[in-house]
Amino acid sequence: MSTEIVEMHLKLLFDLDNLLNDMDEPTYKKIGFKVEEQEKQSLIKTRTDLLKKLPRETADIYERLRKRYQRAIAPVDNGFCFGCFQRLPTQLLARSEKIITCPNCGRILYWRKK
Amino acid sequence: MNLASLLSKDRITLSLKPGKKNKVIEDLVYTIKQGVDAELILSTLLKREELGSTGIGKAIAIPHCRSLAVDKLEIAVGRTTKPIKFNAIDKKPVSLIFLIIAPPQDPGNQYLITLGKIVQIAKELIKKKLIGKSQTPEEFITLIDQVEKGLKKGK
Repeated sequence: MSTEIVEMHLKLLFDLDNLLNDMDEPTYKKIGFKVEEQEKQSLIKTRTDLLKKLPRETADIYERLRKRYQRAIAPVDNGFCFGCFQRLPTQLLARSEKIITCPNCGRILYWRKK
Repeated sequence: MNLASLLSKDRITLSLKPGKKNKVIEDLVYTIKQGVDAELILSTLLKREELGSTGIGKAIAIPHCRSLAVDKLEIAVGRTTKPIKFNAIDKKPVSLIFLIIAPPQDPGNQYLITLGKIVQIAKELIKKKLIGKSQTPEEFITLIDQVEKGLKKGK
């Protein structure tokens, strides 16, 4: 599987996990957006299927980080990891084709397209 | 933070072409992002719609999600020239759509606060029959600002 496809699956998985997290927020429920349990279960199944499409090692890293931090991926901004807010070593700053983790917190790093 | 300050006139389309729900959402996403980022946002928004329509009733819908593709809260507004089917909670068609995309890391949970504020303002637009009033994006921003100030005074 190409790095681009793994990255696309990871980003979608991450966005779906954020959706699931927000749905459990009391503020979200208070706003009035109702989500039935059955639909929620269907979203959980979608994210599980997506996880299975990832290489085993990547899926394991993602799940381990999600359990630890809730959000497994951190955007990079101005050379900082936006998960732990530590400056990243210069050699990491040039966007690489590989999936890179933060040397400090371990989160998967994501460089936004400018 | 007030909602009017988050709106930008180039992301307000007051003569949005009516069409299928997903296509209208896609058109609005493209006012915010293009390419793979737009595809990612669209996939998440449509997954959210599958869970239950974000059509809150009385012609207004608020599709929303968080996405890695944005680094700050982004809002697009579309008013369709004809109401469209949106599977809204009241089963009635929709003509005004607020699309909101938030970054995953969001200090102070501005996303949910803004989402709540949009719902509140949308209900006020319905109550005062203001949905079709604005003719230009500038007028729309002014209207939102006035409604928001009115809500604050009313507290």
